[in-house]
Amino acid sequence: MAEQTPKQILLDPVLENNPITFQILGLCSSLAVTTNLNTSIVMAIAVTLVTACSSAAVAFIRLQIPSSIRIIVQMTVIASMVIVVDQFLQAYAFSLSQKLSVFVGLIITNCIVMGRAEAYAMKNGPWLSFLDGLGNGLGYSVVLIIIGLVRELLGSGKILGVTILKTVTDGGFYVPNGLMLISPSAFFLIGLLVWLNRTIRPNQIEKE
Amino acid sequence: MQRDSIANTFRVAILLCLVCSVAVSSLAVGLRSTQKEKKEEFRQQNILKAAGLWPTGSDVGDVDTKALFEEHIRPVVIDFSKDKLTKAFSPGAPEIETEAALRDEKLSKSIDGSEDTGTDIAGIRRREVYATIYEVREGDRLKTLVLPIRGYGLWSTLWGFIAIDFSNATDDPQSLKVAGLTYYKHAETPGLGGEVDNPSWKKNWNDKQIFDEKWTVQLEVAKNASGNYQVDALSGATLTSNGVSNMLLYWLGEPGYGPYLKSLLENKDGRTDP
Repeated sequence: MAEQTPKQILLDPVLENNPITFQILGLCSSLAVTTNLNTSIVMAIAVTLVTACSSAAVAFIRLQIPSSIRIIVQMTVIASMVIVVDQFLQAYAFSLSQKLSVFVGLIITNCIVMGRAEAYAMKNGPWLSFLDGLGNGLGYSVVLIIIGLVRELLGSGKILGVTILKTVTDGGFYVPNGLMLISPSAFFLIGLLVWLNRTIRPNQIEKE
Repeated sequence: MQRDSIANTFRVAILLCLVCSVAVSSLAVGLRSTQKEKKEEFRQQNILKAAGLWPTGSDVGDVDTKALFEEHIRPVVIDFSKDKLTKAFSPGAPEIETEAALRDEKLSKSIDGSEDTGTDIAGIRRREVYATIYEVREGDRLKTLVLPIRGYGLWSTLWGFIAIDFSNATDDPQSLKVAGLTYYKHAETPGLGGEVDNPSWKKNWNDKQIFDEKWTVQLEVAKNASGNYQVDALSGATLTSNGVSNMLLYWLGEPGYGPYLKSLLENKDGRTDP
């Protein structure tokens, strides 16, 4: 690959090289927290922050890290960042942190974070790694927000808790789609996004 | 290469651990007081929810929890250590901090199978001497009583409340019904045992009977629940479900609130005192 400009590093993973729709990483949390837009957005912000900061931190000490323990070192850095985010959520967004429950803690095992630390931050400087982490976090966020939007709208007729389609139980016309409230629907939506992505960019289809 | 030498590996590992642990713990200490406030607010919300006083459908933040709590809920401290469980302090006494009390030799007792503390079926090891329970009154009549309960599930102790409906209470123990059950602190598996938080499961508890005519706790979680005493178990969470049954058996039974509830039914004045 040719040398990338900082702008490319930041924007490339958002659509072109999206961690979810192209690399198929980080699916677990995108199934679990996207039943409504609110939790999706918080999770997106949390993952973006952790990816960006941990990539930068790993890149900063990359020349000191002995290769035999590099994965553990990356995990330690990522885990610390995740705890920081979790503590802040517990202090300032308690009810959201209850809803997200373990999934904030599980950012540690999110393949995107670890993948960027190992694949990019170990070889590049802190600033570029920060942009790369930010870009990948944004790519994750875009997908999470789309899924969260669709699931909340079709599943409960609301967007961010504001009623858009009045449901039958409240005397409206809309019959909520119960499937959207359970995890498999996120699989279908991600599948549709991957399909869309590959239709726009045929070069991403693997050769037979 | 010097970077990959054993000495350097140790140096990096130790330094990194030190830096990370100092950063994480100083942050945790710095945010502790804010978190504590939020947790207390959440606990109060759960008391209101158990008592059925939380406005349905509204989210945290829409409601002034503290004002609602102070308007409806009257904390009362009771004393487990007396022969017959009685009110130890008048309303307005400070609430007992159970977690602190459990670390204090004087304020809690180990559950050792004696007549006083009973056997430790709930898996909680120690029981406090004083506990704060919460009354909801209508005029001067006791309407609902919210009792703190806790017990071990699969991974963790579940802390919660059970609310008992006194509005149709007679001398008959069978007249007592569950008004609600909530948990505010646990670490059960999300999606399995964590479903104790699921509102549609919690709804199953409403209006269940608790005791038979001899004051034996019959309320339990059961597979294919039927009748007035059973609530359907959580699928995939047998141990959490058993934990819920056991803690009800302990806390509503003889070593728990049983004698106090008995005294409330026998002595109607206890229910109407100011």
